[in-house]
Amino acid sequence: MSADTKIAELLTELHQLIKQTQEERSRSEHNLLNIQKTHERMQTENKTSPYYRTKLRGLYTTAKADAEAECSILRHDLDKIAEIKSLLEERRIAAKMAGVYSNSDPPRKTMRRGVLMTLLQQSAMTLPLWIGKPGESPPPLCGATPASSDYVAKQGDKVAARVKAVDGDEQWILAEVVSYSHSTNKYEVDDIDEEGKERHTLSRRRIIPLPQWKANPETDPEALFSKDQLVLALYPQTTCFYRALIHSPPHRPQDDYSVLFEDTSYPDGYSPPLNVAQRYVVACKENKKK
Amino acid sequence: MSDPAAQALQPRLLQTQSTGTAGSGAAATGSGPGNSDPARPGLSQQQRASQKKAQVRAFPRAKKLEKLGVFSACKASDTCKCNGWKNPNPPSAPRMDLQQQTASLSESCRSCGHALADHVSHLENVSEDEINRLLGMVVDVENLFMSVHKEEDTDTKQVYFYLFKLLRKCILQMSQPVVEGSLGSPPFEKPNIEQGVLNFVQYKFSHLAPKERQTMFELSKMFLLCLNYWKLETPTQYRQRTQKDEATAYKVDYTRWLCYCHVPQSNDSLPRNETTQVFGRNLLKSIFTVTRRQLLEKFRVEKDKLLPEKRTLILTHFPKFLSMLEEEIYGENSPIWEADFTIPASDGSQMGPQTVMSPASVSGSAALSKCLSSSSSLGSVDTGGVEIISLSPGEKRKLPEALTLEDAKRIRVMGDIPMELVNEVMMTITDPAAMLGPETNLLTPNAARDETARLEERRGIIEFHVIGNSLSQKSNKKILMWLVGLQNVFSHQLPRMPKEYITRLVFDPKHKTLALIKDGRVIGGICFRMFPTQGFTEIVFCAVTSNEQVKGYGTHLMNHLKEYHIKHNILYFLTYADEYAIGYFKKQGFSKDIKVAKSRYLGYIKDYEGATLMECELNPRIPYTELSHIIKRQKEIIKKLIERKQSQIRKVYPGLTCFKEGVRQIPMESIPGIRETGWKPSNKDKGKEVKDPDVLYNMLKNLLAQIKVSLTFKNSWNTAEDLILTPAQTHPDAWPFMEPVKKSEAPDYYEIIRFPIDLKTMTERLKNRYYVTKKLFIADLQRIISNCREYNPPDSEYCKCANTLEKFFYFKLKDGGLIEK
Repeated sequence: MSADTKIAELLTELHQLIKQTQEERSRSEHNLLNIQKTHERMQTENKTSPYYRTKLRGLYTTAKADAEAECSILRHDLDKIAEIKSLLEERRIAAKMAGVYSNSDPPRKTMRRGVLMTLLQQSAMTLPLWIGKPGESPPPLCGATPASSDYVAKQGDKVAARVKAVDGDEQWILAEVVSYSHSTNKYEVDDIDEEGKERHTLSRRRIIPLPQWKANPETDPEALFSKDQLVLALYPQTTCFYRALIHSPPHRPQDDYSVLFEDTSYPDGYSPPLNVAQRYVVACKENKKK
Repeated sequence: MSDPAAQALQPRLLQTQSTGTAGSGAAATGSGPGNSDPARPGLSQQQRASQKKAQVRAFPRAKKLEKLGVFSACKASDTCKCNGWKNPNPPSAPRMDLQQQTASLSESCRSCGHALADHVSHLENVSEDEINRLLGMVVDVENLFMSVHKEEDTDTKQVYFYLFKLLRKCILQMSQPVVEGSLGSPPFEKPNIEQGVLNFVQYKFSHLAPKERQTMFELSKMFLLCLNYWKLETPTQYRQRTQKDEATAYKVDYTRWLCYCHVPQSNDSLPRNETTQVFGRNLLKSIFTVTRRQLLEKFRVEKDKLLPEKRTLILTHFPKFLSMLEEEIYGENSPIWEADFTIPASDGSQMGPQTVMSPASVSGSAALSKCLSSSSSLGSVDTGGVEIISLSPGEKRKLPEALTLEDAKRIRVMGDIPMELVNEVMMTITDPAAMLGPETNLLTPNAARDETARLEERRGIIEFHVIGNSLSQKSNKKILMWLVGLQNVFSHQLPRMPKEYITRLVFDPKHKTLALIKDGRVIGGICFRMFPTQGFTEIVFCAVTSNEQVKGYGTHLMNHLKEYHIKHNILYFLTYADEYAIGYFKKQGFSKDIKVAKSRYLGYIKDYEGATLMECELNPRIPYTELSHIIKRQKEIIKKLIERKQSQIRKVYPGLTCFKEGVRQIPMESIPGIRETGWKPSNKDKGKEVKDPDVLYNMLKNLLAQIKVSLTFKNSWNTAEDLILTPAQTHPDAWPFMEPVKKSEAPDYYEIIRFPIDLKTMTERLKNRYYVTKKLFIADLQRIISNCREYNPPDSEYCKCANTLEKFFYFKLKDGGLIEK
């Protein structure tokens, strides 16, 4: 089955699921109203009879079941979305590979930088928010949670990669994984900036995978970097990571970090606070540099 | 005016009035003092005149003759100088009813004593139509008389009196009234106001969505309509607010307006012209400020009487419309007044829909009638400003007709695509800005560089301000804060510039800065210094703060700066760009090719070591901030047109194989199917191309011969004589190119050079009539040169030869008129 028809199918399913969600929601609405009314009646009668107790218990059980059903449908929705996104990603990678290997065609026009920047912003905005079940703790690569030590980034994953620039300086750039060799333990990565068109072969140490979920500040604040923590953050409108201090972590799921970049051109050595999305903030390993 | 009888006219007419033959004229006077003024052609004024005419024309013949007799000279004898018959029995009451008995033909004139018959003898064999025409003039004369009588302004009174006499004379001589004298004849200016205003709408609004464009178009129609019925201020009033020489010119225009536009509105004996069609920019310049004020005041006062949907249109859009128009009227470089104003074809077509689609180009434009319905509600109340009367059906067509003529012109610009088709396509193309939906920061990859910035500006997220420091007046705090902000942005983004230097220039009162403001903070700007006397502006600093870069702000900033300069009539930018800035400036249309004379900028512009001087020439016709948007729409239109054509034709031809078989070039029209697409050889080429193949053949033959022959030995390249050329036959530099390169001399030549060519082969080709166009010929000549340069090192003798030959034949080509310049 072609990716296109698969995606179309998934979209139809998603559409139906969303409808179901609404149905589920109106059903629980009814039940919740019942609970409210029962409470009101109890209040007016000013006593808690066994009848009400049993009734309420029943109602709450139903409400809980409803909520769980709704929740599971919503999770289902999210899974579908993730599936669609991964299909799109596969297609993108396939197209990219095809582009790379067909030498007969004239070189593809590079994307205008402004367009690349909007794509990066878009990718940050649509990074899924991790929603755990009660009591579940955020997985690796959710917000500030690091990947496990043996984690290997997949093809197409975005990473921060430490490369040697032409002038010999080390620089953290935004890159995309091309392959990983288990024999040499080295990654092959592409500079995201197509203007660079460079492929780097780098050891594991020089690669930091980017978060794959946003952490929800309302439910999982521990999965976020905290104020004054040293991080590597993508400088706005560029494809490079620079050392920065967290000025304030996000308050709501869609918020960005506010960070202070190390910048010697400012009197206090830091830039004014700038916003960087969760997607582009990673832990800075080297605490002492220079 | 030289009529000796002129002085006598007035008393006589007075008498006429009192005789009661013109009794209803007196009645009209009584009905309302404000309305009989022909300069106020209110509904009633014009209606009354035509009512009166109908009434008079319904008279029995005898009564008509009596009425005309009053204005007819006595023909009893050659010596009788009597200019009009006077009733010997003047009615006692001045307001006579019409039932008064008709005077008989034998009744004698109170003035000369001859019978009425003697006065009207010339009318005996005159047709009823002509009599009626004369009677119409009689009514108009009577009305004019009243106007002369009541008018208080001397200039206006004079003109009324002149027109009165003119009509009077025409009745006497049974001729057509023609205003004579030094006034000239309409149109007085070209292009006329209507054209100018319509150009303005195209120039400024053609990029808008169809609906908004329609709004602007309606406003323009309303404005034109108002002007046509607007009472101009008298020269006396005008003089009070302007200089003397302007006032003189205005008086001439005012007189023209009275004679050709204003009086004829209620006085149909005189040929009528619309103000907006016979006058142009000059009149509009003189009246615009006052008229605008009065118009807006009038609309404001009467806003409650407007139709609700018109009210918003007028109150919200009209002031802005007028301000923008004002800029074009008084601006020095406005293109809308140019006689040959055209905007790019598809752009021009955008105005089309309103004019063509309205069924009214045939029977009363929809746009116009909408316009009328709003304005007639205005016209019903006369507060001394605009008065708008509803037009009779005949006149209603005037405007739409004028428009269809313009459409015809535009269609020609468009080429062969019928207007209806373009309109249809236009309807299917929606405004891309409207399509973007809520997530507008996510752009399609092919969006224009400045698209986001433009959207953000429209939504008020970013703002642009030209600011500067001033020593003479106290700058306000916000401006000073912004200047500090600019200084910070510049010094951070341009680390190699000393901060003190930046501060000095940003706060220098002679420098200005176009600041880009987001959330009340400066995030970028262009600091510049204008040199109006030198005709250029120096771009001093240009930067956007690093975290806001790559969003199209830089492009949008520069576009705003360009529009600012067009407004201020400076059309050149100069700047010293450092190596990182060259790319940016190139994208903004700057080039290293400097057209401004060195003497104009040397010593004015700040010179920087190691930087490249770059220049940008502005075109005052380009709305720079909208340019990418306009081009995008044009592309969409073209694409749609192509799609339509494709769906109509739907035929697949096999690919061309002739090139594989060795043919180098074929005429465009021989490509199968290309004619069906509507392709035609372009007119431009046709015009230049020599039509007769023999003429072309001879021209080329001559040229080739010249290349081979004429310059022989003139150049002192001595070796040439010793070389292979036939003596006295060849241009000395032509020797390497005379014949095909021999493989023995250059074994790898044919591996490197894919398309060998030489003068001998060219001669053969010419003989074989291969050169059906000059293009083919020039291409082969050029190929000789490029082959030579490709095969030989640049400093070889061969290449030197090629250089000389190239110069020579381009000179010859120009000389022979085969290429331009």
